[in-house]
Amino acid sequence: MNLLLKIEKTIGDVKFAVIIIAAFAIVLGVGTFVESYNGVEYANRSIYKSLAFMALQFLMFLSIFYATVQRLPLKKRLYGFYVLHLGLLMIFAGAYVTYHAGVDGSLTLPPNTPARSVTIARDVVKIKYLDDGQEALYELPYTTEIEDINQSHNDIKIKRYLPFAEDETSWIKSATQVPHLTSSEFLIANPQFNQKFIMSLSEESEFASTTQLGPLNVHYMPPGLLPCFGENNQSKVIIWDMFLQKCFIPEKYNLKMKTTASGSRFLAITLDGKLLKFLPDMTPLAVDDQLKVIENSPYRVFSKNLFEKSPHLFLFTNGAAFFDKTTEKWDTKSFENKSIELPWMGFKISQIKTSYLEHPKKIPTSVKPIHENGQTVFGAKKALSVEVDGKNFWLTNEKPLGLLIEGKKVQIEMVQKEITLPYQLNLVKFKMDTDPGTNNPASYESFVSLFDGKETQNHHIFMNNPLKYSAFTFYQASYFKTDQGFGSILSVNYDPGRWLKYLGSLLLVLGSFWHFILRRIDWNKLRSRMQNQSKEI
Amino acid sequence: MKNYILFLMFLICSHVYVEAQTTQKLFCKSSLLDDLPVQAQGRIKPFITLATESIKFISNSTKLNDLNASEVFCLLSLQSIGLESNLDIHVRVDHANVKKFLNMQDREHSIQSSLILPRYEELRSEYQTLKVNDSYKKDLNKVIIRVELLQEIISGRLWTIPEFSQNETKWSPLVTGLTQEKIEAQNQTGISGFETFFTNLKNEYNAKNPNSTHQLEYHYKRLNLFSFSMLLCLISIIIGVVANKDRFLVITTILAVALEIVAITMRVYISGRAPITNMYETVMFSGIGALILSLIIYAQKRDRQFIYGGLGYNILCLLMMTFANDMLDSSISPLVPVLRDNFWLSTHVTTIILSYAALALSWFLANMVLIKIRLKKITTAHFNYQVQLVYTCIKYGIVMLAAGIILGGVWADYSWGRFWGWDPKETWSLIVLLIYMAILHGKYSSWINNQRFIPLVAFAFLSVMMAWFGVNYILASGLHSYGFSEGGAIFLGSFFMVQIIILLVTWPGIKSRIEKLDQLEQVT
Repeated sequence: MNLLLKIEKTIGDVKFAVIIIAAFAIVLGVGTFVESYNGVEYANRSIYKSLAFMALQFLMFLSIFYATVQRLPLKKRLYGFYVLHLGLLMIFAGAYVTYHAGVDGSLTLPPNTPARSVTIARDVVKIKYLDDGQEALYELPYTTEIEDINQSHNDIKIKRYLPFAEDETSWIKSATQVPHLTSSEFLIANPQFNQKFIMSLSEESEFASTTQLGPLNVHYMPPGLLPCFGENNQSKVIIWDMFLQKCFIPEKYNLKMKTTASGSRFLAITLDGKLLKFLPDMTPLAVDDQLKVIENSPYRVFSKNLFEKSPHLFLFTNGAAFFDKTTEKWDTKSFENKSIELPWMGFKISQIKTSYLEHPKKIPTSVKPIHENGQTVFGAKKALSVEVDGKNFWLTNEKPLGLLIEGKKVQIEMVQKEITLPYQLNLVKFKMDTDPGTNNPASYESFVSLFDGKETQNHHIFMNNPLKYSAFTFYQASYFKTDQGFGSILSVNYDPGRWLKYLGSLLLVLGSFWHFILRRIDWNKLRSRMQNQSKEI
Repeated sequence: MKNYILFLMFLICSHVYVEAQTTQKLFCKSSLLDDLPVQAQGRIKPFITLATESIKFISNSTKLNDLNASEVFCLLSLQSIGLESNLDIHVRVDHANVKKFLNMQDREHSIQSSLILPRYEELRSEYQTLKVNDSYKKDLNKVIIRVELLQEIISGRLWTIPEFSQNETKWSPLVTGLTQEKIEAQNQTGISGFETFFTNLKNEYNAKNPNSTHQLEYHYKRLNLFSFSMLLCLISIIIGVVANKDRFLVITTILAVALEIVAITMRVYISGRAPITNMYETVMFSGIGALILSLIIYAQKRDRQFIYGGLGYNILCLLMMTFANDMLDSSISPLVPVLRDNFWLSTHVTTIILSYAALALSWFLANMVLIKIRLKKITTAHFNYQVQLVYTCIKYGIVMLAAGIILGGVWADYSWGRFWGWDPKETWSLIVLLIYMAILHGKYSSWINNQRFIPLVAFAFLSVMMAWFGVNYILASGLHSYGFSEGGAIFLGSFFMVQIIILLVTWPGIKSRIEKLDQLEQVT
């Protein structure tokens, strides 16, 4: 009991107040810089709405409370003080009620489309069982990075939540390790410019096997194809055996190129008694009599003719091939730990890494976001990892995850929390006025109709003129363009702590006026004391 | 079209023939054009405002040789209606690398328009190749905007001319608004076509739009009452020092206040809103606010030091308004929609700025006390009395600040349903309040005695500067865009440094300079 009293006395002490006020000011100061560097949401999650800051506010509340209690019974000299501090306590209480029970969301109204669902800036995991239409929701905590949420739903375990993420490439052990399904990272550079890029043939990787670097087309191909690119054979055709992963040129087996009636080059190969027909200048795949493509033909036939006009670079795990316009010849070079000179603008290419045992994979990584010119330029992605059957999967707010669990189709997505209004709003008209002679907006106005199941009311919402309807207040917040005209975004608000905050504010202002301005100081006494001292000197 | 240009050429040539011997200005006379109404940047203003702001922005000067801004603007625009005017104005360039790019010398501050205009495309493509948004790119962008503005003037698109149809006034650019018939018709009268045309235009516009404020704005621009007010403030200080009685000081101060209020009232009438919507206006308002507040406190406490504080601070504000043009934009522009609520704007921002004014007064007085103590020893009672003066200002300041923050919360709640949103401006105003509250609570405990109180008060005003300027010039400009090198941030940095130097010089040994003739007393 004695200890408790001691603690109360300490907390209510004016020195404790100094410490807590200064701490509060410092945290807020840091918060504004964090907001400027890392954006509003990061500042909210890491500071303003963090548990530690809540605790600090609670301590401040206690400090004010005990400071007031300790100055009881009422003294006339302190009337202003009581009112002021009571006002502060009420503001804190009101803020807590708002935080706990209030709603602060937004309602998006496309033109002439009734809407009733209010979005709230909280991330939610939605697990959808597509076969039976069942849904499960789990609200994610409002924090910065968090590990081991370990919330399970049937076989799905929610693990890590990264509210600020960027993809980072990692090389991961491949499940199917086939020697010709390689992946490589290359560096292309000249004295002015350099760029790293990754290409992959692995089906497990999301990296592609073709890409464009400025005007240059880059193709990544199985290593078995490289030798044939260097053969400057007359037909300029390469035949690729899909099963053996080997190439040969038609000249080797005395296969002759023929010409169709329409003038296209034509090649026929007999394989196991079956005749395969190719039009290499059209497609590398075999075609049937109706000139339809046969997708699963065992051979592919490439015509190098197609890649001579514009710059094309063929890359392999063991080398590179390209057409040199000055010599009018195809050239192949192997890497052998050095860079290869290319015939374009002094560029050189080198291979940084290559493997078929591993493949490159983009994995979301938690980062500190960077905020520039009003938007988050780095770390704007939100990611979540889930564990199903011992395996780890990632999903982001941009890309939901589709899985097959025990034969059932499941979609897991990260969305914003929603609440549904018991009535619907419809944007009838959106009006934007501009300043005369300019395109600067002067006002935004939404004309909405509200239907509560029985009757329709018409309302006009604009800046500083919100609509109040059944506990909720709708404010004009923003707008967007659609093909059908302007859509409007209203912010939707329900605040049960409002009256407490308002009353507290009133008391605070009155109390501080009472305490600081109305109390008399005897200036004449001060002045005469000063003059007396001057005389003594 | 060809005929039209030929006709104009003929007209101007004949006109020049008569008058050219005496002037190169053609009809571009300040007296004719200054109060001509134009529509620009979303409102109607006198020609003098448009011309001064544009020419000042382009060349960092409102004059070119013997020509003033209106005449320069007019002569430049003449090229659009087919007249040769060889005016070569200076385009301001600040950044060393931009100068290098334009082959300028390092000591040059501007480049001839004839040299930079042909290089416009080059500037643009250089801007687009720059990836990092650093000070070079920012200044390059400014130079591009200056060139674009100059192009717009030369093409006759910036100068708008009213056309009257029934009850409506339509605005069209000079290049299309000055039709052949109009000038021809004026020419019939025998007097110079353009002069009559513009005189009639003014008269007709004024007759049809009796409520237009451009005339008033013309006088506002020409009178420049703020300079006179600054002069009166200086005179007041001198009178205060010379005269024994407070009466003369009070009278000249009230005159200065009255003059400034007239100027502010004109501005309010022109803009149609409370004078607190941008940095320029808040500085202006805080200056006059502090001066009025100091007179009110003087009326109660009868100590002329309050008035000195108010005068000194107001002079600082007027100096900033006159000379810190890069940072404080004096132009009147339309507001963003959310601020267009005069009731909340006037109550909330006024209260906050008045509280900053009171805190500025405390800051000014605290520094005066510090410097005074540094220069000569004072008695405890005298010092305590000075503390009381500073403390009085703070009390007014924090009560208004608390009220202002709450008004802001109520406005935010009313406008978008959120009492508090941790927006940097509101957060910093709360930080200011918290810092002063920490100091006052410390004063009530034994931690902050009077000798610590005064330096801390001087220091605490830096938080006001951060909330007032820092949020706009450092936090909002984006910490990544190297905003520190720009005008506002440099000003703020220098302010911080000067204050810290004053404290370093005056704080150490402050205790030994206060004579202990009686026991140390705490006055609360």
